[in-house]
Amino acid sequence: MKRWSLVGLLAVVVALLFTVSVFAADVIKIGVQAPITGKFASEGQSIDKAVRLVVEQVNKKGGLLGKKIVVITCDDEGKAVKAAICARKLVNDGVIAVIGSYTSTCTEAAEPIYYRAGVLQTSDGTSDTLVKHGYWTFFRNSSPNSSEAKFTAEFFLKKQHYKRIAAISDYSTFSVNLTTAVVKDLKKMGGNVVYTGKIVSGSQNFTPILTKIKSYHPDVIYFGGYYTDGGLIRAQMVQLGMKADFVGGDSNDNPEFIKLAGKAAVGAYLIDVPLPEMLPYPAAKKFLKAYRAKYHENPASIWTLFNVDGLRVILYAIQKTKSLDTKKIAHYLHYELKNFPGITGPISFAPNGERIGSAYMAYIIGPDLKYHIVYREK
Amino acid sequence: MEIFLQQLVNGLTIGSIYALVALGYTMVYGVLKLINFAHGDLVALSAYIGLVILMQLAGVLSPALLILITFISTMVITAIGGIVLERAAYRPLRRAPRLSAVVSALGASMVIENGIMLIWGPMPKIYPASVVPNINFDLHGVYISLMQILVLVISLVLMVALYLFVNRTKLGTAMRACAIDQDAARLMGIDVDKVIVTTFVIGSALGAVGGLFIGMYYRGITFNMGWIYGLNAFVAAIIGGIGNIPGAMLGGMLLGIFNAFISGYISSSWSMALTYVLLIIIMIFRPTGILGERVAEKV
Repeated sequence: MKRWSLVGLLAVVVALLFTVSVFAADVIKIGVQAPITGKFASEGQSIDKAVRLVVEQVNKKGGLLGKKIVVITCDDEGKAVKAAICARKLVNDGVIAVIGSYTSTCTEAAEPIYYRAGVLQTSDGTSDTLVKHGYWTFFRNSSPNSSEAKFTAEFFLKKQHYKRIAAISDYSTFSVNLTTAVVKDLKKMGGNVVYTGKIVSGSQNFTPILTKIKSYHPDVIYFGGYYTDGGLIRAQMVQLGMKADFVGGDSNDNPEFIKLAGKAAVGAYLIDVPLPEMLPYPAAKKFLKAYRAKYHENPASIWTLFNVDGLRVILYAIQKTKSLDTKKIAHYLHYELKNFPGITGPISFAPNGERIGSAYMAYIIGPDLKYHIVYREK
Repeated sequence: MEIFLQQLVNGLTIGSIYALVALGYTMVYGVLKLINFAHGDLVALSAYIGLVILMQLAGVLSPALLILITFISTMVITAIGGIVLERAAYRPLRRAPRLSAVVSALGASMVIENGIMLIWGPMPKIYPASVVPNINFDLHGVYISLMQILVLVISLVLMVALYLFVNRTKLGTAMRACAIDQDAARLMGIDVDKVIVTTFVIGSALGAVGGLFIGMYYRGITFNMGWIYGLNAFVAAIIGGIGNIPGAMLGGMLLGIFNAFISGYISSSWSMALTYVLLIIIMIFRPTGILGERVAEKV
């Protein structure tokens, strides 16, 4: 008996699915796959809200190709298993493109499903592997992890013209990988790295290693670890009378860095993707204003805006190609779209779906203890 | 030469902090033959207490008075903490096997550490920037800050005072007597419980000074920092000879200097590992530490 009722249920579900897709003929469906609940809930909800805001704006202007856009959201909770379920559900719902997911893990779990269904996917995931599967459906709207190292090396050699570079990390995988990548890119570009070393995170007393580094006479010290150590390193550099610059990797970007370093924070450089309100582009200011007006809060983070950019280029490509054929849209995005004016900077894609150009920026902490942009990729 | 002297200054600063904390371990061990594993966490607690007092009084008092009052009140509160610790975790187990007391010490350590986390949260807390004016002296390329000078001078004064207290006063003599033989001391009319409480009070108060130095000099404090400072101070106490007061001072200074020189001349990645190699070598050749444990003279 039980088995029969299950089959019956399945039949009803399948019938329902068919009716939904019949109704769907004159709308364009966009999926959002994001962690609406769980650890990353604030990020996921922010992405969902932002997508709905953009779609509302487009619909107000008469929609796209004369059709209204409908948003379907699926909560993957930041878990890979749920991500695969969401991907199948959204494919069955007949979406043409999916924004998401927030985490690289969930994005990677969903990628093959969207690829096999020919559904476009755009994600802010930063793991380098996301674009290495050869899926034509996938577009990264942020910058991969490896681009931070490349950007740092460019900032060091092309903007600051450092002649003697010292680099330190702690023992965490994240910090070692980032610092090693920075040193590798520096050497590749002909930079002179005079010292590399490691500190024990949380040990607080960094004067011995800094005194040692001082004897190498570097003009800059790069630190690829966390702000709790970075702030102290900067403070102790100044206390030891070191004239070298301090450049911190993205995990130094935290208000506590300035509190820890105190006055010594002035003149320190940090490298990170920008905060939403720091984006210098007109499109960004306009979008943030609209977001605040609708939701009375700021987007959770820059990652929301990367996803909005992903959505905007897909909508733009649909309009340009006048087609809902995902193959045609993907081809346009890969080969024809050049320097689309995005919220997070100009957007173009490489044939593997990687976003060209780096979203990273270099800041200096000014005497007002605020960030000031000193360098970004043109 | 500048580099050498700078490393010496670096090492002496952190070394005096280790020494202050190490005194707490060594005094309690001397009297009770017990390793007070909760001492490091008491030091961390004192850093938090000091921060609360500083934030409450900042702006009300002049800087010098602010520092003085913060130090005195933190030392008093931490000393009370030491008394409570002794009463709750150690006195009921005084006649129990030594292993029970060690487990009780570890338990007390966890209670304090997690208590700090529950009250103040797991994120680092940060001391205000200019409790001690940020003045830096440049002595021909060797840099030393006012804070470092304060750390060195105050530590030295406290250690000399402690040495005089233990060797020149009646209570200090009673303390030494308890360290040699508690039963005999009791027969001589010494109130052993009072001596033990005094030991905890002095050890905790010195640890509180160490905790405040950590906060004021390094600025960032975390709930679990008692572990790493406690471990280093414990090692310092052993290097100098546990139970021996001048030994703890010497051990702390040596450990700080040794750490600085290994980081400076060999590799910072190896400083911890090589520090423990040093400990092993010292233990092989001098099992009771450099100055040796004070052993009862048998006649």
